[in-house]
Amino acid sequence: MTAARPPTASEGFRLPTLSARAALRGLAGFLLALAFWFGFSRPYETTVAAAAQALTNLFESPDVTRLSAGSGEFRLDRRDFPPGSARPGLPAPDIHFNFVLLAALFAMEPRPLEGRHLARFLAAAAVLWVIHVIALVFQIQSVYATSLGAWSNAHYGRFATNFWATGWHFYQIAGRFAAPFALWWFFGRRDLEPTVEKPGHRRAKKRKRRTG
Amino acid sequence: MSEGPGSARRRSLGFLLRFVVLLVVFYLIVASRPVNDAVIVPFTAGIASVSGRLLNALGERAEVVGTEIRSSSFGVNIENGCNGVETALLFGAAVLAFPSSWPRRLLGLLAGFVAIQFLNLFRVITLFWIGLHRPALFNSSHTVIWQSVVVLFGVLLFLFWASRERRLSAESSTADERSRRG
Repeated sequence: MTAARPPTASEGFRLPTLSARAALRGLAGFLLALAFWFGFSRPYETTVAAAAQALTNLFESPDVTRLSAGSGEFRLDRRDFPPGSARPGLPAPDIHFNFVLLAALFAMEPRPLEGRHLARFLAAAAVLWVIHVIALVFQIQSVYATSLGAWSNAHYGRFATNFWATGWHFYQIAGRFAAPFALWWFFGRRDLEPTVEKPGHRRAKKRKRRTG
Repeated sequence: MSEGPGSARRRSLGFLLRFVVLLVVFYLIVASRPVNDAVIVPFTAGIASVSGRLLNALGERAEVVGTEIRSSSFGVNIENGCNGVETALLFGAAVLAFPSSWPRRLLGLLAGFVAIQFLNLFRVITLFWIGLHRPALFNSSHTVIWQSVVVLFGVLLFLFWASRERRLSAESSTADERSRRG
């Protein structure tokens, strides 16, 4: 009998198994999510626009921001914009394409359609929806703070301009790619679930070892 | 020796916290104007230059000006988010957040960065080709498909590196234990 050595720091980590099957599942998940994304982008964008408008209006007095979704854009309107002036269009896929990434990562796990795993995926997708809403609010405020000339300077100070513009830029450069990875790492990893041993399983194993 | 799921979850959350902090730090470095002007823009121009040469070698008549690749009927400007740096930041933050020795981390960072840039070069070339010959497919290929593929590749690279690192770490720890016992 030998004494067990303590585990190294990296050994204490549980990691999902990388295999050809996992890659195939990931690919299938990616393609399915892509089809879903193409099919349901428009209604999804409508919900994101409604929530972002409500959130923006909360901090406005009077509430003037109006958002609508269509043709792959969030159209930004304000009731105090001069009639006939151009309304900014914010590209929608830039905000929410990362749903495909989240689905592909969740699909890599064994038995991706099993109830508990699916529930975890839905929870992660719900958090991702909240992230999309917040990202859109940051984008709107960034447009207000930096793109409306004298109006921007009059209504946004230096700190506010940097805060909104940096927040939106962070989402564009790092946040939108990191969010699905972080959500999958937090919600989706089956290897972190506690294992439940079925009664009699251990005894059956022992018996097998004795006879085998 | 195995540990309970509670301990594994704590380590996992610790990793996630370090990952997010490192990502923010890397972003602040890369987004600062001096680093952007002195490193990121020339690096992106380098990607455009190599892509232009490869496109010309493949028979497309492409001209490169700074970070822009153009032909008589189509042009693309390689911007932040299209130069592979964003995936490299994600990969780098994950590798540094994972417990490992510094030489192995540096080796992983270097190999991962090179692999990500190779894939990104392929992405730039195919996107230019799609824009030139199948312009209707350009937007979805650019935003959804290729961005997702490159980031997924970065995540898979990290998982591959982390699994290998864990195995090597266990092997060297076992060898140390044996040699200590004589």
